[in-house]
Amino acid sequence: MRSAPASVRMNRRLLTLLAAASGATLLLSGCTAAAPEAASTPTAGGTLVYASGDAEPDCLDPHVGGNYPQALVAGQFLESLVSLDDDGAIIPWLATEWTASDDGLTWDFTLRDDVAFTDGTPLNAEAVKVNVEHLKDPDTQSSTGYLALGKVESVEVVDDTRARFHLSTPDSALLESLAQPWVAIESPAGIARGMDENCLAPIGTGPFVVEEWVQQDHLTLMRNDDYDSAPADAAHEGAPYLEGIEWRFIPDSASRYAALQSGEVDVIDNAQPDTIAQATKNGSLVEIDAPRPGASNRIELNSSRAPFDDVRVREAFIRAADVNDGIDSLFFGTATRSYSVLSSVEPLGYSDEKLFTTDLDAANSLLDDAGWTTRDSDGYRTKDGKRLTLRFPVSTNQSIPAEQSLFEQIQATAKEAGFEVVISPLDISGWYGALFSDSYELVSAPYTKIGPDVLRTLYDSAGITPAPSGYFANLAQLNDPELDELLRSAASTSDTDERASLYEQAQKIILGGFYALPLYDQQNHFLLSTSVKGARAMPTVSTPTFADAWLAE
Amino acid sequence: MGSAVRRTLGRLAGALFVLWAVATLTFFAIHLVPGDPAQAILGGPGSQASQEALDRVRADYGLDQPLLVQYFAMLGRLVTGNLGDSYALRMPVAELIGGQLAGTVVLALLALLVAWLLAIGLALWSTGPGRASRAVAQGVELTAASLPQFWLATVLIAVFSTALGWLPAVSTGTPTGIVLPVVTLAVPLAGFLAQLMREHLLIALEQPFALSARARGESATGIRLRHALRHAALPGINLSGWAVGYLISGAVVVETIFARPGLGRTLLRAVELRDVPVVLGVVLLVALVYVVMTFVTDALSRVADPRLRQEARP
Repeated sequence: MRSAPASVRMNRRLLTLLAAASGATLLLSGCTAAAPEAASTPTAGGTLVYASGDAEPDCLDPHVGGNYPQALVAGQFLESLVSLDDDGAIIPWLATEWTASDDGLTWDFTLRDDVAFTDGTPLNAEAVKVNVEHLKDPDTQSSTGYLALGKVESVEVVDDTRARFHLSTPDSALLESLAQPWVAIESPAGIARGMDENCLAPIGTGPFVVEEWVQQDHLTLMRNDDYDSAPADAAHEGAPYLEGIEWRFIPDSASRYAALQSGEVDVIDNAQPDTIAQATKNGSLVEIDAPRPGASNRIELNSSRAPFDDVRVREAFIRAADVNDGIDSLFFGTATRSYSVLSSVEPLGYSDEKLFTTDLDAANSLLDDAGWTTRDSDGYRTKDGKRLTLRFPVSTNQSIPAEQSLFEQIQATAKEAGFEVVISPLDISGWYGALFSDSYELVSAPYTKIGPDVLRTLYDSAGITPAPSGYFANLAQLNDPELDELLRSAASTSDTDERASLYEQAQKIILGGFYALPLYDQQNHFLLSTSVKGARAMPTVSTPTFADAWLAE
Repeated sequence: MGSAVRRTLGRLAGALFVLWAVATLTFFAIHLVPGDPAQAILGGPGSQASQEALDRVRADYGLDQPLLVQYFAMLGRLVTGNLGDSYALRMPVAELIGGQLAGTVVLALLALLVAWLLAIGLALWSTGPGRASRAVAQGVELTAASLPQFWLATVLIAVFSTALGWLPAVSTGTPTGIVLPVVTLAVPLAGFLAQLMREHLLIALEQPFALSARARGESATGIRLRHALRHAALPGINLSGWAVGYLISGAVVVETIFARPGLGRTLLRAVELRDVPVVLGVVLLVALVYVVMTFVTDALSRVADPRLRQEARP
């Protein structure tokens, strides 16, 4: 069995673990969380009410499209071949073991032979093959899962429990990709019903089953009584304690929090900084802080043209923007400043704080050097009669109010150096429109993915498409052949030390070139009523799981 | 041809024109707003659609066609009574609207009813003897009419759910879940209605018929209930047509805050996703209701006011 990179994640999701284990005392005590655990014995029964602030999915099958709202709910009824433990190591799930050939082009996965989907279809190699083909079929309209399987050419059924993946090029991120909920394994019979029907109630092997979906209101999930395929790090085997989950969609954050306070719901996601601070201060609610993997939240600087094609102007902006004071005053201690383009849960993340110290004098002299020497009547710098203007489209769906305020503070501090930052709050379609017409100098776009291979998606020059309406993920439009080479080598090496070293070199180029201004991890906070025990965030993409949860009185 | 028939035909043509104009304006307005529906269709926030997938979606939904071609295709569909399919939800718009209609209709009708009851009560009380009640009512009406719905909703939740725990903060499917949404919509509307009705009640009470009724020995309350209210109700009835628009725009806010399924939330989501068929479907439905309401309020005015019936005769 080839094991995953052996690197140890530092204190990964300490808070999550503690919250899951101990309940309410967590945030008050901070470190003595293990004591009350023994006192509470799981009790079966009851329906947990979950209120999601994320958009209601259009389709419950995360193969279709593939966004975070889909992952949130799909994690309750679908399972993947492998998972991660809290140290970031790959652990068995539906697959018990796996081996790769020496050239890295053939991977054999051995599946559990005692698992069936909730429609009775057995989980076998044929099912895995059908799922991979479903994800790669253009008719499925998969985007995230499709990218995750980019190097997988085909799946061969060796025998009932052995599936052989054939790759076009070696993929050091294959296991991390397969751990993602967007490539979860569904019943082939379910997929065969066609997209419309499968979207309404995908059939998996998970702890719960989709019973009913009343659009714009709620989903009813019922316990899978035959459940017995928990990932290797689960707290218990067998069927969940809960009878079911009522999964509600409450878009307004104040109502969501009010519903939790009044006991109408048991768990909420997308908790806002002010409410987290309030809720945890008096100990009436429990927080799970589960930063998402992949990229950190960062502001990308569009380096493809003036003014940011000049590294001095990029550095000047980053030196001028005062991020830390804004985070302190707007996030109430719920977010920690990041100096890395990768999430703090990524073991291979590299940080360099000194590149991001705020220094207005340095910013001013850098801009003078770059030729932005004159100022107009409004105090903005100009060069050849053109104002130093930075267009910053902001997605009001993706940036929470605190983050939008942070951007305004950055706007104000950048002005002191002579930058005019023009913030445009846009809804999601308008925001994509601004990106794809390349009308931005600054942009903040989240990207959730397991493992450092996200760097290839975000900073490989292949991610810049010249077509004005085309999709591209390289929003900094970073175009550096040396970086491309590093990222491509890292993605195909089978040597874990070499992989780590290549990713470190790559991150040094990205940070040192001032292509991005890291802010903090992708924020992902859950608030739970104190009666909810045993819930945790999955170490994969930080979605909550209730397979081990129960309701205490 | 009788004048009544002619008038009806004329109104029908007018109604069709309104619907066509609404469809056209909506269609071009939503295309004027920058945005990429294909991206939204393929998962929205956080999803990473490939170029192939985008091209495919654009071709599937005809988004790669010139705008005018898309416009006439849309008109052609509408003429045959087909609202098309939702881009995002992959289901017929008619079915989608059908599923969400009941929630909004119940909410709007209850809000209208409560608003009328509040307004009549307030108007009758404040036109009674004594000046104090009038001043109080004026203040209450003005405040109520100018309350922003999102603020009112938040305050109601804070008081009745969080602090007192009497009513749910979000609609839970139980009957009590609708109370706060209805009150949120009804209170500002009642403010408008009451203002208007009180004004007309006072005018009516100064008319000679009020004096003669009093001379016949009718009580003060009796005059207001049996005679003056009829006059005061007229502008209120006319306002109810306008109230449809108010209630639908209010439903967008209220359904979002109280997490109620309904047309308002459907519309909001469709606009965000540039889900043109759904936006058109909802807007056309609202326009249709508005047109019908105008017919109805017109008819109701004739019932309330015999003078209108008189004028209509040839």
